[in-house]
Amino acid sequence: MVEKEDAIISEEEAAQYDRQIRLWGLDAQKRLRGSRVLLVGLGGLGAEVAKNLILAGVKGLTLLDHELVTEESCRAQFLIPVDALGQNRAQASLERAQFLNPMVEVEADTDKAEDKPDDFFLKFNAVCLTHCSRDFMVRVDQLCAPKNIKVFCGDVFGYHGYMFADLGQEHQYVEEKPKVVKQSEDANDGPEAKKPKVDPNETTMVKKTASFCSLKEALEVDWMGGKAKTNFKNIPVGYFLLQVLLKFRTDKGRDPQPDSYTEDSGLLLQMREDVLEAMGVSIDLLPPNFVSYCFSEMSPVCAVVGGVLGQEIVKLARACRMGTRRRRRPKQPGPS
Amino acid sequence: MVQLVGPLRKELADSVSSCRVLVVGAGGIGCELLKNLVLTGFRNIEVIDLDTIDVSNLNRQFLFQKKHVGKSKAQVAKESVVQFCPKANITAYHDSIMNPDYSVEFFRNFALVMNALDNRAARNHVNRMCLAADIPLIESGTAGYLGQVTIIKKGLTECYECQPKPTQKTFPGCTIRNTPSEPIHCIVWAKYLFNQLFGEEDADQEVSPDTADPEAAWDPSEAAARATASEQDGDIKRVSTKDWARSTGYDPVKLFNKLFKDDIMYLLTMDKLWRKRKAPLPLEWSELQKQGEHSHFSLVEEMLGGGLKDQHVLGVYGYSQLFSESVKTLSSQLAERGAGAELVWDKDDPPAMDFVTAAANLRMHVFSMNMKSRFDIKSMAGNIIPAIATTNAVIAGLIVLEALKVLSGDLDQCCTIFLNKQPNPKKKLLVPCALDPPNLNCYVCASKPEVTVRLNVSSTMIQTLQDKILKERFGMVAPDVQIEDGKGTILISSEEGETEGNNSKFLSDFGIRNGSRLQADDFLQDYTLLVNVLHSDELGKDMEFEVVGDAPDKAPTPSTQEEGKNITNGNKDSAQPSTSSTGNNMHDHRKLLDAETGEAPAKRQRLSQQQHADNEDDDDLIALD
Repeated sequence: MVEKEDAIISEEEAAQYDRQIRLWGLDAQKRLRGSRVLLVGLGGLGAEVAKNLILAGVKGLTLLDHELVTEESCRAQFLIPVDALGQNRAQASLERAQFLNPMVEVEADTDKAEDKPDDFFLKFNAVCLTHCSRDFMVRVDQLCAPKNIKVFCGDVFGYHGYMFADLGQEHQYVEEKPKVVKQSEDANDGPEAKKPKVDPNETTMVKKTASFCSLKEALEVDWMGGKAKTNFKNIPVGYFLLQVLLKFRTDKGRDPQPDSYTEDSGLLLQMREDVLEAMGVSIDLLPPNFVSYCFSEMSPVCAVVGGVLGQEIVKLARACRMGTRRRRRPKQPGPS
Repeated sequence: MVQLVGPLRKELADSVSSCRVLVVGAGGIGCELLKNLVLTGFRNIEVIDLDTIDVSNLNRQFLFQKKHVGKSKAQVAKESVVQFCPKANITAYHDSIMNPDYSVEFFRNFALVMNALDNRAARNHVNRMCLAADIPLIESGTAGYLGQVTIIKKGLTECYECQPKPTQKTFPGCTIRNTPSEPIHCIVWAKYLFNQLFGEEDADQEVSPDTADPEAAWDPSEAAARATASEQDGDIKRVSTKDWARSTGYDPVKLFNKLFKDDIMYLLTMDKLWRKRKAPLPLEWSELQKQGEHSHFSLVEEMLGGGLKDQHVLGVYGYSQLFSESVKTLSSQLAERGAGAELVWDKDDPPAMDFVTAAANLRMHVFSMNMKSRFDIKSMAGNIIPAIATTNAVIAGLIVLEALKVLSGDLDQCCTIFLNKQPNPKKKLLVPCALDPPNLNCYVCASKPEVTVRLNVSSTMIQTLQDKILKERFGMVAPDVQIEDGKGTILISSEEGETEGNNSKFLSDFGIRNGSRLQADDFLQDYTLLVNVLHSDELGKDMEFEVVGDAPDKAPTPSTQEEGKNITNGNKDSAQPSTSSTGNNMHDHRKLLDAETGEAPAKRQRLSQQQHADNEDDDDLIALD
C-alpha cells in the first residue's frame, strides 16, 4: 500500500536533502518520502541500515526487535545509550535514531518478529531482516515478494557479511542507456556512417523487467546438479559460511559468542562438516580457519554491508532507476 | 588458543585500543570514520577540521543535528561520539591541518593517519607531512555513488603526488570576457564580477571586454595597436571596476547598462569575433522594465506545482530585478564594513548567490544561451559534489579494514579499493587493485625531487613564482627559495617581511635566466624541490608558466562540467557515465581523489595570500563617453 505522495517539498527538506537531490533528483526524493520500511533486528548491521534509511528521508521506519540490550550490543552499536542495559534494543535505539532526522516517522516495536501475523508485514513497501532465523526469512520472503513488497536480508558474522534481495518475479525498472543515433541514408557518407552511432551525451530511459529468485531457492541450490557444478569457481566462500552460520543460529537460537569461543568454535567446525556433506560439496570449500573470523559483528563490516543494503533499499524506494540485478552472494544459477 | 575480544583477535584488539590515530576531516567520510573507529575499539583519536556545520551537511554527517548548525565540526563530532562511547579519548581541533603547529613531530605521534578531506591542497600537504614523518597514510574520496580508498607508505607505494593530477580547468580570458559559448563561461564571469565589485580584486579576473584578444584583430598588429590606443586615449579613464562602481554609488541601473549594454556594444565593434559566431544582443534597463511590467509572472503558479523554488528559471526581466536587489544588498553590506572592506563570495550566502545567478543569466541571455535555474548555477558556481550517506559509510568501513591490516603489519595485503555504482562484469561492486610502487621521478617523494618549469624570466614576478608556482602548483605552504648561483642568493623567505621588497621584481632582475636552478624549501613539510628554469617568450596565451613533462589539461573534473548535466529532473544519472567495463570505472575514479568542493575561502585558510601588485597592473578599461 503506497501512500499518496505529498507534492510539495518544504524549504526545510530542500535545504537538508540538497546534496542528494542533486544526485538523484527531486522526483526521486519525493517518492522516497512516500515509502514505509520495516527493519527487523537492531544489532550492529541494523543500526547502520536504520541510520542510512533515516538520513535518506523515508516516510517511516519501524524498528522491530524483541532482544534486550547486553554489554555486547552496547559495544557494537552507536544508537544505544551506554546506560540502557536490560532495555529492549529497539526501544533503546529509538531516541538517537529519531534525532538523525526529525522528518522521518521512526517507531519501535518490541514484539518478537516470528510472532507477528502475516498482515503485519503487508503494511510496508519494503522489509529488511537482520538477525533472523533461516525459516523466518524464508517465510517472510514467500509472503511478501508476490505482493510486490521488496524483501531484503542481511547479516554480519565477524569479518564476513552478506545481503540478499528479492524484488519479485516481475520487477520493473528503468535503465538509462546512451541514445543510438539513426544514420542518414546518404550513400556519400561512406561505410563508417552505416554503423549505429552512440551519442554519449544523449540518453534514453529504457523500461525493463527482471525476475529475482526467492531466498528459499537461493539457499537450496542443488550443487550436485549439472549447472551448479560449473559455477563453482565463482561462488565465494561466503555462501557456504552463511549456510553453516544459519544452521548454528537455528540450532542454538543465537549467533556464536566470544564468551563461549571454545564451545562455539567446536560446534561450528562440526556443523561445517555436516552442512557441506549434506550439500554434497567438498569440505575444502570452506577452510576451517573461518571460525576465528566469524564471531560478533565487526563495525566496519556492518558499515560496508549496511551501506550497500541501505543504498539498495533507498534505490527501490526512489523507484526510478535500475536496481542492480542480483545483489546477493553467491550469484546463483537461476532462470535466465 | 585463539583469544577474541569481540570480533578481533586479542593481539590486534590490544594494538587497536592502545595506538594513537589522526583523522583529518570531520565531514561526510570523517563522521562515519570516527564512528567505525570507536566501535572497532580505537581509543586514542585526534580529529581536525576547520569547518563549521551547515544544514546541507545533515543528510549524511550524522553526528550533527540541526541545533549544531554553525558550530565546529570537529568539536561536535567529538561530543557526539563520546556519547555512545564514553571511554574514547578524542581530541578535537577546530583548525587547519596546514597550520605550522602541526609539524612533522606532531605527525610522528601517530601510528596511522587517515584523510577524510575534500580538497587537493590539504591532501598534498598531509601527503608530504606523512612522507616526512614516515607514517602510513590512508587516503580516500567519494563523489555521488563512487568512492575510493588507498594506502600511502613512503618507499613502498606511490605517494599522493606521484601521478600528475589534471589541474582544475580554467578558461582563457578572452572566452570569459569576449566570446562565452557555454553557461559555465558566464558563471565564471559573474563570479569574477562579484570580486571586482565587492571582493578582492584580482588581476586575473577581468570582466570587461578584452581589446587585446588576438581573434578580434583582422591584422595581428591591429590588436596591439588597439590595446595601446585605448591606453593612450584621453577619453578612456583607467579606473578599477570597484572604484567606478563606488563613484556611481553602486547604482544598479548604471551597472546594468554598463555591463549588459555598453560593454556588449563595444564587443560588437570587434566585428571579426562575430563573423562566425552569433553576435551578442545588448540589453537596456528601461526597455526591459517596460516589457517586464506587461509580462506574466508565473512563478507562484509553478511553486504550487511542487517544484523547488530554486529550480525555476525566471525570465530576463526577473533576473534584472534580482540583479538590482542583490547589488543593493551587497553594496550596503560593503558599506557597513567600512573602508577597504571586501566581501568573500560564498555559495551559501543568499545575496552573493543571487548576484551570480542574476549576472550569469543576464549574460547568458545576451549571448543567446538558455538561462539556468539558481539550483543549477549554484552547482556549477559552487563546485557542488552530490553526496549521500551510504557511499561515505562504505568507504569509511573500508578505511578501517585497511587500517587494521596496517596495524597488524600486513601492509602487503593492503590495496586500493574502488566502490562502483554497479557491479562490474565479474559481479564485483568493490574492486581491489594492487598498490603501485613509488614513481622514481616524483617531484615530491623521489630522493632528490626536481622539476623543470618553462616561463619568461623577464616578465615573471617573484610574487608569481611564490604564489602560482610554488604554492598553488607545487603545494608548498611557506616556501623559502634561494638561487643555486654559488652564493646562495635568497629570493624568497618564508619569514614575513624579509623579502617583501622582491615581490614585484622580475626573475631576470636577479640574474635568473635560461638554465638557472632554484632551490625551494618548505620547512614545515620537510620538502626540498629543485627547480630548473627554462626561459621562453612564446608561452601560450594566458599561460604564465608550464611544467615540463606535465600531462596536458584533461577534460574538466566532475566538479564543474558534469554537475551541469546532473541536475533538475532526476532522470539523469550521476556524474559518472554509465558503463559496464572495469577500465572505464577506474579511469573515472582517478578524479575522485581530486574532486574539490568550492567552499568559501572564509571557511578555510587561503592557500595564497594574494597581495596586490602596484598600480601598474592592468586594470579594467572603462570607456566613458
